[in-house]
Amino acid sequence: MNTDSRRYVIVIFFIVVAVIYGTRLFYMQVIDESWTLRAQEIAEKRVLIVPPRGIVKDRNGKKIVVNKTYYNLMMVEKNIKNFDTVAFAKLIGWTPERVKYRFKEIVHDEGYDKDPVTKKRTVPRYQKMRAYAFVKEMTTDEMHAIAPYLVKFPGFYEEITSMRSYPYANAANILGYVSEVNAEEVAADRFYRSGDNIGRAGIERFYESDLRGRKGIHYVVTSAMNNAIKPYANGKYDTTALQGPVLNLSVDIELQAYGEKLMQNKRGCIVAIEPSTGEILSMVSAPTFDPNLFVGRRSTSANYPRLSLDPAKPLYPRPLQAEYPPGSIFKLLQSVIALQEGVIDVNTGFPCNKSLVGCHNHPNARNIMEAVQMSCNPYYYQAVRRVIQGGRKKGLYADAEAGLELWSKYMHSFGLGHALETDIPGVRGGLIPDPNYYDNLFPSKKRPYGHHRWAFSTIRSISIGQGEVKVTPLQMANIAALIANRGWFYTPHLVKSVGKKGPLPIYKKKNYSMAKAVHFDPIIEGMRRVVNENGGTARRARIQDIVVCGKTGTAQNPQGEDHSVFIAFAPMDNPKIAISVYVENAGAGGSWAAPIASLIIEKYLTNKITDPEKEKRILEANLLNVVKKGK
Amino acid sequence: MSRNQSLTSNVDWGLLIVFFLMLIMGVANVYSVAYNEEAPNIFDFSQKYGKQILWVGFSLFLGLLVFLIDSDIYRKFAIPIYLFCIVLLIVVLGMPAKNGAHAWLGIGSLGIQPAEFAKIGTAIALGSYINSVNVKQQNVTTVLLANAIMLIPMVLILLQPDAGSFLVFTSFLFVMYREGLTYDPIILKLVNQIPGIKFKSTWLGSHFIPILFVVVFLSVITLLMSNNVLTFEFWPGLEIPGFIGVILTLIIISLVSYVILRWISARRDKRRVTFIVLIGFLMASLISTSVNFGFQGLASHQKERIELFLGLREDPDVDDYNRNRAMAAVGSGGLSGKGYRNASLSSVESNHVPESETDFIFCPLAEEWGFFGSIVVVVLFLFMLLRIVAIAERQKSRFTRVYAYSVAMIIFIHFAVNIGMNIGFAPVIGIPLPFFSYGGSSMMSFSMMMFILLKLDSQRNTVLS
Ligand SMILES: [Zn+2]
Repeated sequence: MNTDSRRYVIVIFFIVVAVIYGTRLFYMQVIDESWTLRAQEIAEKRVLIVPPRGIVKDRNGKKIVVNKTYYNLMMVEKNIKNFDTVAFAKLIGWTPERVKYRFKEIVHDEGYDKDPVTKKRTVPRYQKMRAYAFVKEMTTDEMHAIAPYLVKFPGFYEEITSMRSYPYANAANILGYVSEVNAEEVAADRFYRSGDNIGRAGIERFYESDLRGRKGIHYVVTSAMNNAIKPYANGKYDTTALQGPVLNLSVDIELQAYGEKLMQNKRGCIVAIEPSTGEILSMVSAPTFDPNLFVGRRSTSANYPRLSLDPAKPLYPRPLQAEYPPGSIFKLLQSVIALQEGVIDVNTGFPCNKSLVGCHNHPNARNIMEAVQMSCNPYYYQAVRRVIQGGRKKGLYADAEAGLELWSKYMHSFGLGHALETDIPGVRGGLIPDPNYYDNLFPSKKRPYGHHRWAFSTIRSISIGQGEVKVTPLQMANIAALIANRGWFYTPHLVKSVGKKGPLPIYKKKNYSMAKAVHFDPIIEGMRRVVNENGGTARRARIQDIVVCGKTGTAQNPQGEDHSVFIAFAPMDNPKIAISVYVENAGAGGSWAAPIASLIIEKYLTNKITDPEKEKRILEANLLNVVKKGK
Repeated sequence: MSRNQSLTSNVDWGLLIVFFLMLIMGVANVYSVAYNEEAPNIFDFSQKYGKQILWVGFSLFLGLLVFLIDSDIYRKFAIPIYLFCIVLLIVVLGMPAKNGAHAWLGIGSLGIQPAEFAKIGTAIALGSYINSVNVKQQNVTTVLLANAIMLIPMVLILLQPDAGSFLVFTSFLFVMYREGLTYDPIILKLVNQIPGIKFKSTWLGSHFIPILFVVVFLSVITLLMSNNVLTFEFWPGLEIPGFIGVILTLIIISLVSYVILRWISARRDKRRVTFIVLIGFLMASLISTSVNFGFQGLASHQKERIELFLGLREDPDVDDYNRNRAMAAVGSGGLSGKGYRNASLSSVESNHVPESETDFIFCPLAEEWGFFGSIVVVVLFLFMLLRIVAIAERQKSRFTRVYAYSVAMIIFIHFAVNIGMNIGFAPVIGIPLPFFSYGGSSMMSFSMMMFILLKLDSQRNTVLS
């Protein structure tokens, strides 16, 4: 029997196996990419490098928000071996129970994946291979005390981190604070990983996308023990972390600190704006708090409850959100509208007819300057009536509707009735009533006045800035800037520049009001007299050698003593600062708000105080307990 | 001609060059996988690459000795060599176990594995035996004796236990098949007892061995692929069920082997080639189909048990998820690889693929050199195997032919199982890749095997019987 041909069986065998293997290799290596993904899963790790947040400087280049080094004690469960709970607890100064609880807490805090159908949580997102911060925010001293002993606890290591620090302890309401992201934020934005910080309020939140910087990604090859061995592909795909740009605030931190000092033991706020740019120089909300209280978890959880329960509401951002009736300050704008509409001229006089609306005793206003100076209520009742009931439509109600429509457009052009686009979260718009408001919303949504059911007589209180009108202190300061500029304003903003970029584009656009510049001149003259002539209501705002133009107001407060209001700008020619001051429950505007404003103005313009008595009186005043009306 | 001239003049240079190429690639690969930054010198003998170079040097020295000795001694001393190997295999059973097997003889790192050398001894003994009997007269005694030569070391190896080496010894079944020593006489004896039946031979009995291997190989691959879906990077969305993939592969292989066989076979065999390929394809498809549907018909826990038993599946929850990581290393190599010394999974330092310098040595090679590197290795092995078959078939001496076929089949099984387990085509069995895996015993035994073959071949004209 010849078996020579059997060689072919063997040869075929060899060839077939080689061809099958070659094909399989080609499929695995070239065609199917799932093994590549699996390999990445096994041996490559993306290490995210979180840069320190961008720092914040004031308008004079002083650092007001910086970063301070802290340490996290990190843990990788997979690497933990022969863990001695008691010894470890002793090392970090905890009880063994707390150490055990912390383990559970870390697993729980990572959250759970949810079943898409039942919405029940299923698998914990926690991973044994991942690093988690076991103890967070340890100071350098705390970490140095335990670092030498960490070798005894494999799986634990120190990681450097940074947290905010505020050298000035001021402007908490402007700066806001940062804290760790929560699970929802991680899910909503791919930038964040558990443990990252996010801006929570103020400019920390508004400029979050700038301040957080750019994370670096390092691809490393890891070993089976999860140790990084070397950069993947010699770092070819790595990106460096980039710290966020410096945020240059328009705020003058010294002026801010001075304002906060003046407002101590008072409730209220100060907003100062540079009229020529719209830059906010200072924005005080009183009472305030030290922003360093909200640095880190431990400090935040210790201080937040106390501050949030304080009846004086230190966390309430008054300049942005306190919506007060503007009171007599509103007369400035009513004057401009009446002049622009031509229903009065500069020399129009009205008698102080107290049967129309109450007033204090004063001579009749013979022109608009005197009306401003003496703040005559009946004068404005009559002037605004001419605006509202302007004879544009037939019939009293239709005429009032058309008039109010026009009037509210004026007010919106002054930056009222809608939120200004200031670069901070939580800006409110106040309220400027329009026809729709009385038709459908006032006095209540259920029972409004209704269409063509109201006329000037119904809504007359708006003429003197009372009743339905609501304005925030920020808007009031902007009004001062608008008047100082004679009819236009830049949207008030807190950030002059982000790194080398200037302010946001919207802050480079001039907003013109519907009134011509010429109509502001008599108003400004009236404001000068308010401060600088005997018989003006704000004599306490006078400053030696500086012409301050201002207007007092009293915001009616149904809950208690009226609020003291004052707006001003100075100097009269080429104004450098426009300001609004509210002091809650402080009575008439001239007594407290005006002197505070003048001190701020003088401090800003000259950096000195010529009248120490005035300053002393303010610093010593405690108006916190004056709540009830002293009637 | 003088002895000195014949020392080099009749050497098969093709085989020798492939052999040296593999040695060089092997050392370079061990250097890459075991690279230690603190000892970058490749000749640092405290490192695995340094040691591997020592082993290669020692093996080449042995090779030189083999070349200086007349190849007649293997024929003359076949029985003593074989018995010596058997004694070693018995002695090793008394040695302390290492990694659960009594496989090592010697002290510490200087140990040798007798099983590696028993392959050579068995090949020589089998050659000597087949050469001595007239096996064309098939009878039960010759078949049983030849099988006994193979089975005695196999049983001893199984006692160690060493599944890999055990598997390698099945190589000799093919050698016997080639020489006409099949189980046919045994089957005939049984069949012919039925009254009225008087067969001279049975087709199944004669070709039982290759058929068995084909069935096993095909079944394993079909089982593996039956739960897979093939996806294609260049054509997302194209998905081919694994079983269809197997059938498609069979068609491709049939066409390729048809073309090759038509090309290499003699004119009178051409029609037979067509017939054989067609029958082979139909049979293979039939086996694959029945295995696939038989397997799919099983309950899932039964499937799982079969897969776990065959090592086709590993429990992802268990730390020992070796093959999956090995396959990830191979698969992530891509077309051209990650670059020399850039294996991120299979370097010893990263340790994701265990035993990457020994049993899984193909991983770093495939990961660093990609498909180009892998296919070069496959082609080199194929060339080596075909070259040895060619050498075997030109021998006048039956002894040398048996020996040459033994070498080819041993290398083939090592190649097929070792690379198979890297690409998911074979269960994880500890078995080195010849000339590539780190380790003294396999390096020495394969080198000696190769040099003896080269020596025998170089003297093919001086021997008559
Ligand atoms: Zn009056």
